[in-house]
Amino acid sequence: MPTDAKTAERGPPIPLWRWADRQLRELATVSGSDRIAALDGLTIVGERGSVRDFEIRGRRSAGVGGSYLNPTRDGSWFALTIMREEDRAYLPALFGKEGMEHADQDRIAAEIALNDSGELLAKGRALGLPVACADEVPASPAVEVLSRGSRRDREPNHRPLVVDMSAIWAGPLCGHLLWLAGAEVVKVESRKRPDMIRSSDPQTFEVVNQGKDCIAVDLTNESERNRLVELIRRADIVLEASRPRALRQLGVDANLIVQQVPGLVWLSITGHGATGEPANWVGVGNDCAVAGGLSRALADATGEIGYVGDALADPLTGITAALEGWRAYKTGNAVRIGFSMSAIAARALSEERAYDGPALDAELRAWGAAVGKLFPLVPRRSGLASVHDLGADTDKWLGQTHPC
Amino acid sequence: MKPGTRLKSAVCDTEVMVIRTAGRTIECGGAPMAEAKPAEAGTLSPDHSNGTLMGKRYVDADNTYELLCVKPGKGSLSVDGVALVTKDAKPLPASD
Repeated sequence: MPTDAKTAERGPPIPLWRWADRQLRELATVSGSDRIAALDGLTIVGERGSVRDFEIRGRRSAGVGGSYLNPTRDGSWFALTIMREEDRAYLPALFGKEGMEHADQDRIAAEIALNDSGELLAKGRALGLPVACADEVPASPAVEVLSRGSRRDREPNHRPLVVDMSAIWAGPLCGHLLWLAGAEVVKVESRKRPDMIRSSDPQTFEVVNQGKDCIAVDLTNESERNRLVELIRRADIVLEASRPRALRQLGVDANLIVQQVPGLVWLSITGHGATGEPANWVGVGNDCAVAGGLSRALADATGEIGYVGDALADPLTGITAALEGWRAYKTGNAVRIGFSMSAIAARALSEERAYDGPALDAELRAWGAAVGKLFPLVPRRSGLASVHDLGADTDKWLGQTHPC
Repeated sequence: MKPGTRLKSAVCDTEVMVIRTAGRTIECGGAPMAEAKPAEAGTLSPDHSNGTLMGKRYVDADNTYELLCVKPGKGSLSVDGVALVTKDAKPLPASD
């Protein structure tokens, strides 16, 4: 944590902010929302790094813990994120060496240098670790229709109900944009496992979750799970960012529900895709940005690889899901749409390059030259509405669920 | 055996990646697992036939053994005849 955030030098705008801005303009047009029209892309991609006074650190991602980029034997770069201390138990298997669970970053870097990127990627993904390679091609389409259902006619002034089961940043940002666009949003959290940024990053939590009703459920309790599914069936839009296997193991069949409930729009956010083998992979904002080619683009523009922005795949995905979700809702047709964070990062990069390549390269060069500076300051958007406590609105939406 | 080693069942389709091991015999369907499949598949023991699930982690009571299922099959996993159990899912967000 920098000692004097007020006087420290600030970095340049986060690359791809103009792409984000154009998607927000489009969302403002399709939703007719003045509150969306008042947003700007720079604020949305930069508000977490700004409020947290994150430092731009090159090959180490912004924020606590974080993700590191290290060179591999075959000349590529491997991004490894250790999100939970218990994930260290998988480092011996990743590298095929005893004792690696206690390794520091230098030791991990030395092991990565002895391996090829493809092998590390395959093993890391089988182990359920968020890993990426700077030179991979995203495995799934950015936006993909996963199932379709029938149509529902709504009153012209109907206020959509969004059930938001996502956590951290990408999904909750999508729910927040839908809320700004006029939807009523119910945030669903596991009582045992609330959204981790409620406590770890309250400043970001309150921006992207303000105004949402908050319900808490025990997903292992069949009766509570059934009541949640009933709520989902009353919703206009459902939003989740869990691995498809986790949903199935809870007995929730998203494709089936979309086929049964007219007009229901179901948005599924994943790291690398919702079908086939990539549906089992874990992905978070920083490594998905690497998998989408953002770090390689920085290296091409500057000669030095590094992370671009702060978990940039997250806000790019949140904006994309809100735009596609609102469009789908307006058609009235039931549909389940999958969003792959790594592919959305790749798409944003290629669209921005086509839109204004020289400007993009200039921004990447400025970003690469800003290592050591703090993230750019953007306006703080808290205080638009109250932030609800965990489970504050459970009874309102699910009836009495607490055991006597 | 090195952590990260892939073991195959001698009696079914199961394959696992070794996360932690302590030297005793790792079995599937009642038969020892190995890095190569035998030329002829053995017989699945009815006492070890509950099946394995893709992506599940299997541990012993002391947590000295942990196996990750990378390919499911009909046999169930054991160490020296003692059945392994699935490790409860730990919280992990799909997005950061």
